[in-house]
Amino acid sequence: MLKVFSYLKSYKLSIVIALSLMLTELVVELWHPLLMAHIIDDGIIGEDLSAVLRWGGIMVVLALIGFAAGIVNSFFAAHVSQSFGFDLRKHVFGKIQTFSFANFNKFPASTLITRLTSDVNQLQNIIFMGLRILMRAPLLMLGGLVMALIVNAKLALVLVLVTPVLLVFLLWIMNKGFTLFRLVQERLDTTNGVLRESLIGMRLIKAFVRFGHEVRRFTKANDDLMDRMIAALRLVELTLPLLLLVMNLSILYILWSGNRAIGSDSAEVGEIVAIVNYTLRITGAFSVVSLILTSVSRAKASGQRLAAVLDTKVDIVDSDEVNGDLCVKTGKLSFENVSFCYPDTDTPVLGSVSFTVQPGETLAIMGATGAGKSTLFQLIPRLYDVNGGTIKLDDADIRYFPLESLRMGIGFVPQEALLFTGTVRENIRWGNERASEDEMIEAARRAQIHETIMKLPKQYDTVIGQKGVNLSGGQKQRLSVARALIRKPNLLLLDDSTSALDAKTEANLLAALKEHQCTTLIITQKISTAMEADKIILLEEGRVLAEGGHEQLLHSSPLYRQIVQSQLGEGVAI
Amino acid sequence: MRGSKGKSSVKDWKRTLVKLWAYLSVHKRLLTAVLVMVVISSSLGLLGPYLLGRAIDVYLVPRNSSGLLSFIFLIAGSYLLYSLSTWLQSYWMIGVAQRTVATMREDLFRQLHKLPISYFTKRQHGELMSRLTNDMDNVSQTLNSSFIQLFSSVLTFIGMLAMMIWLSPWLTLITLSIVPLMYFGMKWITARTGRFFKEQQRNLGDLNGFVEETLSGQRVVKTFSQEKRVIAEFEAKNERLKTAGYWAQTYTGFIPKLMNVLNNMCFAVIAGAGGILALNDMVSIGVIVTFSEYARQFTRPLNDLANQFNTFLSAVAGAERVFEVLEEEEEAGDEQRAVELKTVKGEIEFSGVFFSYEQDVQTLSGIDLRVSPGQTLALVGPTGAGKSTVVQLLSRFYEPSGGQIRVDGQDICRIKRHSLRQHMGFVLQDTFLFQDTIRENIRYGKLEASDEEVEQAARLANAHAFIMKLPKQYDTVLSQDGGGISQGQKQLLSIARAILADPSILILDEATSSIDTITEIKIQEALYRLMKGRTNIVIAHRLNTIRRADQIIVLEDGKIIERGTHESLLRQRGFYHGLYDSKSSRSKKGQLG
Repeated sequence: MLKVFSYLKSYKLSIVIALSLMLTELVVELWHPLLMAHIIDDGIIGEDLSAVLRWGGIMVVLALIGFAAGIVNSFFAAHVSQSFGFDLRKHVFGKIQTFSFANFNKFPASTLITRLTSDVNQLQNIIFMGLRILMRAPLLMLGGLVMALIVNAKLALVLVLVTPVLLVFLLWIMNKGFTLFRLVQERLDTTNGVLRESLIGMRLIKAFVRFGHEVRRFTKANDDLMDRMIAALRLVELTLPLLLLVMNLSILYILWSGNRAIGSDSAEVGEIVAIVNYTLRITGAFSVVSLILTSVSRAKASGQRLAAVLDTKVDIVDSDEVNGDLCVKTGKLSFENVSFCYPDTDTPVLGSVSFTVQPGETLAIMGATGAGKSTLFQLIPRLYDVNGGTIKLDDADIRYFPLESLRMGIGFVPQEALLFTGTVRENIRWGNERASEDEMIEAARRAQIHETIMKLPKQYDTVIGQKGVNLSGGQKQRLSVARALIRKPNLLLLDDSTSALDAKTEANLLAALKEHQCTTLIITQKISTAMEADKIILLEEGRVLAEGGHEQLLHSSPLYRQIVQSQLGEGVAI
Repeated sequence: MRGSKGKSSVKDWKRTLVKLWAYLSVHKRLLTAVLVMVVISSSLGLLGPYLLGRAIDVYLVPRNSSGLLSFIFLIAGSYLLYSLSTWLQSYWMIGVAQRTVATMREDLFRQLHKLPISYFTKRQHGELMSRLTNDMDNVSQTLNSSFIQLFSSVLTFIGMLAMMIWLSPWLTLITLSIVPLMYFGMKWITARTGRFFKEQQRNLGDLNGFVEETLSGQRVVKTFSQEKRVIAEFEAKNERLKTAGYWAQTYTGFIPKLMNVLNNMCFAVIAGAGGILALNDMVSIGVIVTFSEYARQFTRPLNDLANQFNTFLSAVAGAERVFEVLEEEEEAGDEQRAVELKTVKGEIEFSGVFFSYEQDVQTLSGIDLRVSPGQTLALVGPTGAGKSTVVQLLSRFYEPSGGQIRVDGQDICRIKRHSLRQHMGFVLQDTFLFQDTIRENIRYGKLEASDEEVEQAARLANAHAFIMKLPKQYDTVLSQDGGGISQGQKQLLSIARAILADPSILILDEATSSIDTITEIKIQEALYRLMKGRTNIVIAHRLNTIRRADQIIVLEDGKIIERGTHESLLRQRGFYHGLYDSKSSRSKKGQLG
């Protein structure tokens, strides 16, 4: 929580200015009833016109000073709160970017999105309020109290008794409200989550005619959100009427005791009027406080949610022994007894996997669905860290590489071609911003997508929708390959990235990859692809079952023979 | 030019407000109750200061104590009622406001599902999400307080004016002199804020969209080590949001200050002028006290209105963005004469079908095909040839720009969309699974299926074995990026889902692309069993999956270039033969070398 507000530190000066301007306003506000008392007591009762004019003039001047202070305060308060929001979003987003996949499992995307927008907004609002009225209200209260005591301590005594009680009451409500608003934000996550899934799975939902089902799911989340919101708001809205009642009754008490005090000549009418006036102002401050209350409770809930993100321990970071000079050069890759299981599970996905790929070689990885092929790939750019054994690149443990230069040296083509909203050009150059136009076209050519792109109406400037919705599966895969090739990586990882390609295009693609002298690992289901590789590894249940060239495996591995048969048909002689 | 722009935006507001009112008016009875409470609390709010002034004039100044106590009880009673009515009005209003917001959210959600697929191709998910959360949040906050304050402000203002005139016309005149000042000040400010609020909401949506997309593509961001770039892009959007937010907030901040100074000036003027008048015995001290209190309260409703006006502005900006989606053209509605299909034999016919996603690029041109009930049609061809498009048209995700598609002899435009799709089962290219248990994900194919049926379907799809190896088996909750299971396993689950749906027409679009061939053979039998007695459309690259199809159609550039059975196409030695050959020839080469 403290960490969240620590971003305010950079704006110390602005905060001080804003607060002092606020205090100036406050002084004006507190001074006014006093001057009013002067007008009544000196001017009207003393029948002195010049006194009336003098005090009236001072009041006007003060009001103008207060106004100027208020206007300038606006600039500073907005500056602080918006900059704070900016910093907070920046840091939270930056933090999220350092998250490992294990971290992401704790924070689904929908909650991170709400936190970055809705929660930051809540905090931003409270800061703005804080620099303008939040502080002013309690100070106004305190000031009003002090002034009332100065005017007539005996009459104002009741205020000293009532105000703290009300404050305690307010704090209690605030605490309760905080719990309720945290639930509200959580429900907002859920609602957001349902919506997001619905958007991503739109095709499936339409295809299965599950509109009604989705609406029910959403309505449930939405109603829940509504109920929580109503509960939270109703609680905090209870405070204002109660506060007003107590304060109003206090005024009546002051009137009544004031009347008796006048009788015994221990108070003047002007004094009573002034105290009543102060009480009214304190009451006004109280109602402001109760208004702010909602925001404070919400902001506290939001602050905690943001702190949770900022305080998350990232488990994949550069280790202490990292060698800053290391970067991927030759692309020699070796696995030595690597074992792995996903965080928070104890089912091993990989068990003592060992193999070596020489620079420039191509290794094909085959195996049944769920054998651990993709998992093996994820370990190389350190999306997850191994549990046992080591992975070496250029004969150095990958953990000694700075994370960034390790990943910079790898061209990764994931199984699902994840594209971004933007033009084709932007998507390819996403892999390497510094690439020239020629380099981009070269990458597209190699990925066998250049001609397809040239046929599009706007060619490289064609806009593709989120996740590449307006492209065919094969087009997406080839764009994703081009994005990896433009980096000119020394190690290329293709995770079944040619599955949606027809055999001809695929063959051309593989041939083009051969020209590019880099170590290539390719996960595939197709024997035709595997045959092109220098070496094939057969994975089964996380273990290397067989390793070798096509011919070798044909003779040594029954499973491999079976796969070959399954694809080339009975007729193929072995 | 600016003027005309301003005018049109005022018109937009009116439209937005009218629409908002349509939502609110559902709760007319509660709103009336709220209004009654507002009237009561506003009049009591007016009565309070008056009684207070009377107490001073009648009892305190003449030092007269008799009857003061009962007078005080009278005031206490009015205060009690005041608090009660204030409480009730907000209690009810919260209910109305939140229910309204919930309804709007639900409508927005429903609308999203009614929009054609093409709507989503150009919009980011996160941006749409922002409308449902951030924009609705603004509407909610405004409805909570503004509605009440709007009415109470107007009422209080009128009431107070009347009281003031009655008490002292002169002082009233002096007090009112600040109104023009207020008017011009407000006009100046609000002319600026509205624009910035709109911009702020738009930038917020933009940021939201970016965040959502980056998080969805986190795997690529990480493996490409593009965190710095993504952060830089985020920062640019963040900066824009900050700038818009800064100006919106600064200008908004002026409003209470303006009100405050006018308030204080008013107070000073009343004190001064009142003093002068009192000296001339034109008003009493009590009246001045009452007046100064009124002056405070008099500017307060205006102040509130002004303050509300701004939250109000941001809410209107938000509501406008919500209605924007609600007004988007829906997936073309079913024709009036559209029929429900009770049973489907599964005869499919395309005659002269044309289609293009974007102008000047024909995705499909002149497609003619016919599939008899129970037959299997395989679509092959290079990527981007239009294979998936054929399926998309058949399921009416898009409408053909020319030609006709018939199911059981009935033009599908005349069949209700939901009814058409109900008879179809899909295994789509992009496997999508919900963040839910495996059991519920399979059950999605048939919501009323029993657990046994779910397991049966999983067995048929060859998914049962791997599911049983998971720590919680069928109750394993899939995480958002499917971290727990592999892509191939996801495909097995979506096949199980389709099996459970038991459709008349089965569509397999690259259903087994990520499944290894051994597993594929294992489920092949299940698939054949599944396909039996149904009409099937299969899109696949692996030729052995389509070898047994009754009819194979080869597409290239949106045209049918070859058709026939596996054998006849091989004999033709055309494109299909080339596809087949590129595989087998290489395998021969492999064997040789």
